[in-house]
Amino acid sequence: MAIKRADFPLPDLEDELTKEFFAGAARNELVIPRCTACGAWVWYPEPACPACGGELAWTSTSGRARLFSWAVVRRPFLPAFAEMIPFVTALVALEEAPEVRIVTYIVDTDPQELTADLPLEVTFRPLSFPTVPDRAVAVPMFRPRP
Amino acid sequence: MIGTPDWGHTTSFEDINGDVAIVGIGETEYTKASGRTARDIGAEAAERAIADAGLEPADIDGLTFSGAFADFDVAAFHEQFGTTHEMWSSPWGGGMSWAGTAPYLAARAINAGKARHVLNVFPVAWATQRASMTGGPGEVHATQTAKQNLEVPFGWFPQPVYFATIMRRHMLEFGTTEAQFGAVAVACRRHANLHPGAVMHGKKMTIDDYLASPYLADPLRLFDSCLISDGGAAYVTTSAERAQDLPAPVVVVRGVAEGLSASGTHWSQQRDFTSTPQVFSAPPAFAMAGLTPQDVDVLTAYDPFTVVSLMQIEDMGFCPKGESGRFVEGDTLFHDAGKLPFNPHGGLLSHAYVLGIAHVVELVKQLRGTAAAQVPGAEVGVYGGYTGAHASTLVLTKA
Ligand SMILES: [Zn+2]
Repeated sequence: MAIKRADFPLPDLEDELTKEFFAGAARNELVIPRCTACGAWVWYPEPACPACGGELAWTSTSGRARLFSWAVVRRPFLPAFAEMIPFVTALVALEEAPEVRIVTYIVDTDPQELTADLPLEVTFRPLSFPTVPDRAVAVPMFRPRP
Repeated sequence: MIGTPDWGHTTSFEDINGDVAIVGIGETEYTKASGRTARDIGAEAAERAIADAGLEPADIDGLTFSGAFADFDVAAFHEQFGTTHEMWSSPWGGGMSWAGTAPYLAARAINAGKARHVLNVFPVAWATQRASMTGGPGEVHATQTAKQNLEVPFGWFPQPVYFATIMRRHMLEFGTTEAQFGAVAVACRRHANLHPGAVMHGKKMTIDDYLASPYLADPLRLFDSCLISDGGAAYVTTSAERAQDLPAPVVVVRGVAEGLSASGTHWSQQRDFTSTPQVFSAPPAFAMAGLTPQDVDVLTAYDPFTVVSLMQIEDMGFCPKGESGRFVEGDTLFHDAGKLPFNPHGGLLSHAYVLGIAHVVELVKQLRGTAAAQVPGAEVGVYGGYTGAHASTLVLTKA
């Protein structure tokens, strides 16, 4: 059962279902799977559209979102997080598809300033953990919109 | 309810109201790390439940257990009791949501003539296993692909963080306060203080203690969180007719149902973020029983975190959606004075984290009139089971 992957908790860039999300982040693009037949946004990624069976295409988004909910993590639940605490992990609802909730970090603000539905924009940052030396993965994080 | 929400569904169950009864209960000690194996704990719970029912191991011809853990299956049963007889069995019993639906499986097997006396057993030794990280709630979740790649790297892990986020959204949508979450923790601790078998028996907690307890992930505090324990329990189900011949006071199964969330254990994507699949489970269970939430004398509901208790209280229909915070203030949940006596053994929060099996055993004790913190005159008891993806509702009555 245990996770054997040496770079955990960095994302697995070989994972078929999710690798395009991180490939997009490396190009500074927030991409989400969208059905080419019915237009539905599909999140989390699936092999095909659960609504119509149609083919999915990773599709660029505005990167604009609203803050849905968040937690200020104070305990290092994994050793990898020990030097990061406290940090804000959050669910953000994508502007063009609020049913898509992306799990992300909220950065560049004081946790005290956070409010429901706060307008946010994506920012691509390298994610690294001291427990995984010499590795970094570009990921979408979010910050308050100016 | 106006229309049925579309983010999940109800499992279709046949009407078994009155067909079967719970006639034996058994529990081990509930402790912090005991050094015991789950299998050993399961065997002890089973032995005690069979004895309580006035039966011999050879009389048990049906077994329901948790296939996901498989700590006490048919092979373990035979090894423990030195028996070799044919047994009907199902891996869809045990604890959590399935502690509530196991009596349905038993009823179906009994009605079909496949078994007469069915044992449901669930042991856990997570307090002992925690040191070596072989098992435990977080580890199971971290292996799921979407969580491993789209949640864990972003610090959204494990359960205290998920439920802190759900708690925050409940506060934002409905104005629920920290002290209202605290009311659940305080009521459970009050009950554990009255229950000599509870892990937190000797430890008092006031609302001020709750509000002074540290945040694990704001707004979720240490005292919003369940314990990690070793322990186990079991119960024996038989036909209502056969129950008349057995020594224990009869507790009849009146209603049972299961609800499922379409997003499974991906809490982040559940359409209705501040609800549980009780929305799909409680109404059909009450309908099968011919009862309503107003008829309930005692509720035991799965309480890994205080917010799960509040959501289940709403979703089972004990108060309107969003109003559970105000509903639980004061003495509402107290066993002796409350409008809705809740987890009178102390729950996962203060009794023991044995994943719901003790919640069902406590209901049986309440309906027998033998509980430590006895609800006066309890005749109707309900269990609300929960895993995130599943919820179950079990309605029991005194015969
Ligand atoms: Zn489609």
